[in-house]
Amino acid sequence: MIKPLSDWLDSRTGYRQLVHEALYEPIPGGARWRYVWGSTLTFIFAVQLITGVFLWSAYSPSTLTAWESVYFIQYEMAFGWLVRGIHHYAAQAMVVLLGLHFLQVVIDGAYRAPREVNFWLGLILLKIVLGLALTGYLLPWDQKGYYATQVATNIAGVTPLIGPYLQQLAQGGTTYGHLTLTRFFALHAGILPGLLIAFLALHLYVFRRHGITVPAQAQGQPIAPFWPDQVLKDAIACLAVFGTILYFTWTRGAELAGPADPSEAFSSPRPEWYFLFLFRFLKFEWVDRLGLEFGAIYVPGAVFVIIALMPIVGRWKLGHRFNVAFTIGLLAGAGYLTGLAIIEDRHDADLQAAMREAHRDGQRAVQLAREFGIPAQGILSLLKEDPFTQGPRLFARKCASCHRYQGHDGTGRPVLKTELVEHRKVTREEPATAADLGQFGTREWVRKVLVDYHEVFAPLGNARAKQADGTEVAVGERFLNGDMANWSKENRAVLTDPANAESLKALVEFLVQQSGRSDEGPIDAALAAQGLDIFQNGQLAAGSLTSACTDCHTLRLAGQEAEISSNPGAGVPTLTGYGGREWLLRFLEDPGHDDFYGSNNQMPAFAESMTPHERRLLVDWMTGHYFRPEQPAAH
Amino acid sequence: MTNPPADRAPELPARRNFLIQAVTFVLSSLLALAPLVAGLAFFADPLLRRRSTMRGATADGYLPVAKVGDLPDDGTPVRFSLQADKVDAWNLFRSQTVGTVYLRKIAGQVLAFNDVCPHLGCKIDYKPAEGAFFCPCHASRFNLDGERQNDIPPRDMDRLEWREEDGVVWVKYVNYQRGKAEKVPV
Repeated sequence: MIKPLSDWLDSRTGYRQLVHEALYEPIPGGARWRYVWGSTLTFIFAVQLITGVFLWSAYSPSTLTAWESVYFIQYEMAFGWLVRGIHHYAAQAMVVLLGLHFLQVVIDGAYRAPREVNFWLGLILLKIVLGLALTGYLLPWDQKGYYATQVATNIAGVTPLIGPYLQQLAQGGTTYGHLTLTRFFALHAGILPGLLIAFLALHLYVFRRHGITVPAQAQGQPIAPFWPDQVLKDAIACLAVFGTILYFTWTRGAELAGPADPSEAFSSPRPEWYFLFLFRFLKFEWVDRLGLEFGAIYVPGAVFVIIALMPIVGRWKLGHRFNVAFTIGLLAGAGYLTGLAIIEDRHDADLQAAMREAHRDGQRAVQLAREFGIPAQGILSLLKEDPFTQGPRLFARKCASCHRYQGHDGTGRPVLKTELVEHRKVTREEPATAADLGQFGTREWVRKVLVDYHEVFAPLGNARAKQADGTEVAVGERFLNGDMANWSKENRAVLTDPANAESLKALVEFLVQQSGRSDEGPIDAALAAQGLDIFQNGQLAAGSLTSACTDCHTLRLAGQEAEISSNPGAGVPTLTGYGGREWLLRFLEDPGHDDFYGSNNQMPAFAESMTPHERRLLVDWMTGHYFRPEQPAAH
Repeated sequence: MTNPPADRAPELPARRNFLIQAVTFVLSSLLALAPLVAGLAFFADPLLRRRSTMRGATADGYLPVAKVGDLPDDGTPVRFSLQADKVDAWNLFRSQTVGTVYLRKIAGQVLAFNDVCPHLGCKIDYKPAEGAFFCPCHASRFNLDGERQNDIPPRDMDRLEWREEDGVVWVKYVNYQRGKAEKVPV
């Protein structure tokens, strides 16, 4: 039954000869592991074609939908993480395998006559694959890809003569936008794969025409066909590569950083790791002094010309040795620069903070997208309205010149200052001149303000104010030696007496209750009621306070009309709603109001220098008033 | 081993040769299939994951449509649009028209119809002059109770469940598969 059918098909198509030619390619000396690289590359390319077409079925190239559709693929669609993960890591595997294939060809001298043309075809394929890697990195439209690709298109822009035209053609205009994505997508999913298929077909055709390059020791050995021994070795190698790809897909997954935001600087963008050597090369000061064209175009161009000339140089024995040495030197140099870049980046606190921020934004964007759905204006509009995302940035811009947040500027970066010391630039951490607000309004904060006021506000000791005559004067004293500091010192012993542990807890509970914050967990109402008594009469379980809180502070309980105590003088902060949104908003607008620090105040009022919207985002973040998912996002 | 002719494979024991061929064939096939299977599973997402197409309906699927007072007392059908948040893959569009329905009031009772033709999904028109529903695509015709008047539609117009709360009519908005005699939700 099968035989007549296959006879019929063969007489119409001649497929048997095709299969025979494909499988029974003669290999002198038989199967060898060193022959597997070309096959693994072809296999990975097939993997990329297949996974790429499926990703295409869900990807939407525009600035309002690119990140959004990739998010949907990665986090919502069935097996999206798997297909995207394979595509992501296979792309990197392809670059590695290209390097190995190239190394193999040069070491074996496989570029020599009559295989020169095939070597050049291989170089064209290398360029196409790098083009695919570059264009693919932009498509998710996240901060990392967006800013890294900007560098690449700007390099294209410094090409002599045609640069600006080239850049505008690639970008679809003078800036990045919808058309950049549609063009990169057309290149990535249409033009470049089409070219790759065409040149791969030529490459394989010419390869088969001349046959495999056999090492000297295999010359004259018996000939074995490609099938099955070499196919088995190739398959095992492909399995190893594919297994590695799956391993990374499973354990790490393809990252999706925060969405591209042209208005939000992303410090220190980095290309994918396989372009890091070029990136690091451009960072050398001597390279920079010679001009971007030199480092980014002339040097790589010259290297490429030397590589392209290898078949000709390699005609002489010494020339071949030069080629091998040049290739190994090139790979070693690239390896060294890559290592250097990685090590430097690891020690670059700013870069690490930017990476963490991009990662954090990515996670947060996914949480918001899942909870609220993405509006027509895109994911950025959700992030722009999110206190958890914007609060730290506002803190860094508006507050961190004096305050700190758990020791940093809110976004995880240290606050640095560069000074000239003996004609040398020295960068050091700038001391804070106001309290660290990382725990503001929490139980821990309230407890510390009560028993360690002096320590909490110690940075005020660094604060200086310029006077009219230009001299500087310390201004922290009025707080550090003020009434509250003295009260805290006087009562520290009695408050931290183990017999009063419950009393202190009660007083803290009562004060935290005033904020109405939801992120401090449920309030123990009975405990807080005890705290109210202590607040009013200063009576602890063992002993009593030198003065009750109500002797100085104003407080009105939530939902009540009358104040339980009234401020006898201006400049003592009211504790009505202390630490909550409303309190902090009012404080931020005018900390010198009589309800707050009055004439003692040293903090600028932000009624003018921040918009109401910014103030709300900042305060909502500091008081924990933002959406929290029940479970963090995972792939 | 003696040197075999140069154009022939070295002779292997037949069984080992078969084993290698079988292993190679299976391994190669698996490798070729792996990305394809992953891709097809991904492509099957619409069958594997059901996602709601709107947000904003009550837990049992009802949406407010109109005030009872807005319905004519003589039983004339009126078309209303339903407002809800529309979910489209990753997007959520606030307050969109997610569908349209006909309401009729007869003796204090309400008849609610999905206005999509059960034949092939066009929007059914109400023809006041003929006192009937009529589909402009393939001439399906229904009387005002939604009963089909010719053989073109496979079933009557799709009735929707409704309830009244504080003078407002709520409808459980469901779309049904077209072209079938039975009502099967999409």
